[in-house]
Amino acid sequence: MLMATTHEQLDELLAADLHDELTTAERDEFHAHLVECAECRVAFQEGKTMNRILNETMSEKKADPGFEQRMVSQFRDRVPKRSGLIALVTDLMRVRAVQLTAVAAVLLALAQMGKMITGESATPKMRSDNSVALAESQYRSEQEKPGATLQAAGVLGKNDGRTKTVADVSRPAEAPPPPPPMDAVTSTAPKPVEALRRVPSSLASAKTKKAEFKDEKTPASTVEAVEQSEPETSGTPSATNAAANRKLVRNATAELEVASFDESVQKITAFAAEEKGYVSTTSSEKQANGKLRGEIVVKVLPENLDRFLGKLRGIGELKNQALTTEDVTKTYFDTESRLKNARLMEQRLIEILKTKSKDVADLLEVEKELGRVREEIETMQGELKFMDSQVAFATVTITLAEKNMNLPAAFLLKERAQLSLYATEVEKTYNDIKALASPKVQITNAQIDRDNTGRVSARLSLLLAPDESEAVINQIKAMARVENFQVTTDRVSQGGDGLGENAKTERDKVELNITLSRDEQEIALQTTSLRIQTPEVNDKTKQLRALAEQQGGRIRTSSFSRDPNGREYSNVSLRVPMKNYNALIQSLNGLGKVENVSVRRDDRPNSQTDEANAPADVSIQVYSQGNIVSADTGIWATLRRTIGQGAAALMWSVRMIGVAIAFLAPWALILAAIGWVLRRVSRARTARKEKTDETIDAQ
Amino acid sequence: MDTAEHAVYRAAIQGDRDAFERVIRLTSRQLFAIAYGILQNREEAEDVVQDTFVKAWKARWRIRDSAKLPAWLSTIARHRARDMARKRKPERLPENFESTEAVELEGATGERADLDHEVRSALAQLPELHRVAVTLRYFEDLDYGTIERTLGLTNGALRGILGRALGLMRKRLKPALATAG
Repeated sequence: MLMATTHEQLDELLAADLHDELTTAERDEFHAHLVECAECRVAFQEGKTMNRILNETMSEKKADPGFEQRMVSQFRDRVPKRSGLIALVTDLMRVRAVQLTAVAAVLLALAQMGKMITGESATPKMRSDNSVALAESQYRSEQEKPGATLQAAGVLGKNDGRTKTVADVSRPAEAPPPPPPMDAVTSTAPKPVEALRRVPSSLASAKTKKAEFKDEKTPASTVEAVEQSEPETSGTPSATNAAANRKLVRNATAELEVASFDESVQKITAFAAEEKGYVSTTSSEKQANGKLRGEIVVKVLPENLDRFLGKLRGIGELKNQALTTEDVTKTYFDTESRLKNARLMEQRLIEILKTKSKDVADLLEVEKELGRVREEIETMQGELKFMDSQVAFATVTITLAEKNMNLPAAFLLKERAQLSLYATEVEKTYNDIKALASPKVQITNAQIDRDNTGRVSARLSLLLAPDESEAVINQIKAMARVENFQVTTDRVSQGGDGLGENAKTERDKVELNITLSRDEQEIALQTTSLRIQTPEVNDKTKQLRALAEQQGGRIRTSSFSRDPNGREYSNVSLRVPMKNYNALIQSLNGLGKVENVSVRRDDRPNSQTDEANAPADVSIQVYSQGNIVSADTGIWATLRRTIGQGAAALMWSVRMIGVAIAFLAPWALILAAIGWVLRRVSRARTARKEKTDETIDAQ
Repeated sequence: MDTAEHAVYRAAIQGDRDAFERVIRLTSRQLFAIAYGILQNREEAEDVVQDTFVKAWKARWRIRDSAKLPAWLSTIARHRARDMARKRKPERLPENFESTEAVELEGATGERADLDHEVRSALAQLPELHRVAVTLRYFEDLDYGTIERTLGLTNGALRGILGRALGLMRKRLKPALATAG
């Protein structure tokens, strides 16, 4: 057994033995086998020879001694050493961790960029810090310049609190020049006010207020600072002085709801007298419901205005109030100075008139000019006076309205009627209604429609005088069958809303809308269908027609048919008034056996229907029992039918085969094509292989 | 494999040029044997070895296990050699190759030349891996362990391959061996 495996593994063991790669045990075993097996001994001899030959031939071809050195130097030539930094970077980039870090960094950078673009970052905070620092540095640089301190303080004073604190903080540390900026502002604050107060008196010598101001501006920077700080100083005592010097026009409006208009007017007059004022105008207006509404204009001294308004509140309920103040100081003083100039001009002209009275033409010219100047003076005086009066008294406009202003004065009853009619002859009824027109019955709209199937419908709108309305409506109702009649009445209050117990009620014109349709279109109130079995269909149908005629019914459709089994059918559908319905059904019993009676009633709960005249539809099928054996039976008929069915089945199977082909054929074609391509490819591959083998063989 | 060699491999993979040159010195002969085993031409085999090292240097970061560097190099060399063999097929047909070979062989004795030729053709008929294994063994007289590492084979597989290769050759060379023996 062991020998057998050794023998089988001869090649492997032989090679390993020759290459001295067998373990001692293996070698012993192998050599033992060689002693026994002649075949293996021959092989061993051959192997040994071949090993020797191979060793000899192959070692000749192996690489020469300088091979390694050649390889290294060629490698150096082909892969030049990179300079330090680039090499380091490229080597670094090949480390996995570095690659990951780089990717993360790129992503972070992108995210940051996106944030910056969308402005979601926290940079604004930094910027505000910067601006503070900037302000501080500016302040410092200006502190070094003499005389610029006040200007800087003014600028800072105008700014918000933050920058001000910067100035405050920096001040004690820096030890600024003698007058600290803020103190300077307060101490110089009254100065311009004084200047302002002096303005009217100094107008005689100065041309404009601006010029006056300029004289006052001794150190330019101081005044600038003061001017800027002025709005802030309002509220200090000096500010009220300034206000007193100003020409202010005060106006107030108030809207009040009071119990009684006249009483309120009296009260207001009393208040006006108390506050050294007067009532300038009153006006009132009586409403339709007897309530008063009006306006009172009161003039009071401006300083008493607020007290007066407070008193007003006591009169009634204050709806709204507004107080406006207009500053006319500039206009006033402008006008005043222009007046001064005009007076001077007048004076001069009079001089000229007195001294140089030689040329008549010149005199006339001067006279004319004098007239113009005087006119001007008067206009300006008037303007000033008006403004003075405006300033002297405040105007209060009071709107008074009595309570329950909106109580209705009268009610109007508006009736609107809707009438739907079914008429046998629409056009005739339509013309009849139109004929009713008179001064008290006005037709506002009338139209008649006929569509291509011959259906006719009409629509009319009428306006009826209230006293005639009922009679006219009844007259129209009598003309045709009423399907529906609806009246809606609206009570419209006039001049307000609410109950208005004392208000009158009047009836307005009645609006009547009529729709006219052909009675054929009316849906039957009751629908009945039944069957009558009788041997003589034709005769009974004739009788049925006669019966229907008797009961005032109208045949709408009828048909007759006979089937191959000899069965006869006659379908009749007719319409009869509801009042005659029962009589008709009773009489039908005489015609034959009544079967399959079904009745459907279509109640219309929301309409007022004239039930006796409402239509009822009856559809009757009169039929006979046919032959027991139909013509369509028997051997030939059966045979014919069987062949027919067989042919049909055959055709069906042909169709199914067609469908199957349609399903499968494309796939079969595609698969065949793929198979063909694969075969071509594999054939080409084997051909190439054979060719290579040939070339190898050729070598 | 000893640890020093291992350290050299690792340094080479991490981009140490000196270490890589050491690797060249250590493995170039084996790679030459492999390339020659496939191509049976010295110049081409040398080119293949050269290309292999350049390619390995450029792609060294791809190898994860430094112990497998020799096997990886030999794989590159085998691919490269196979590429070259495929490329030269059409232009190898001219007869001058045979003639130069013949001229070269004339230096040896007639009998030796015959035997040599037969050995070569027997070798050429072996499958590629067999041929490579045989060349490695007889060129550099390498022990089985080194060959296994170089070609990435197990001991059993290598013994089988060499045994089969030598067995096939022996059968083919039987008449020649009989006269030589």
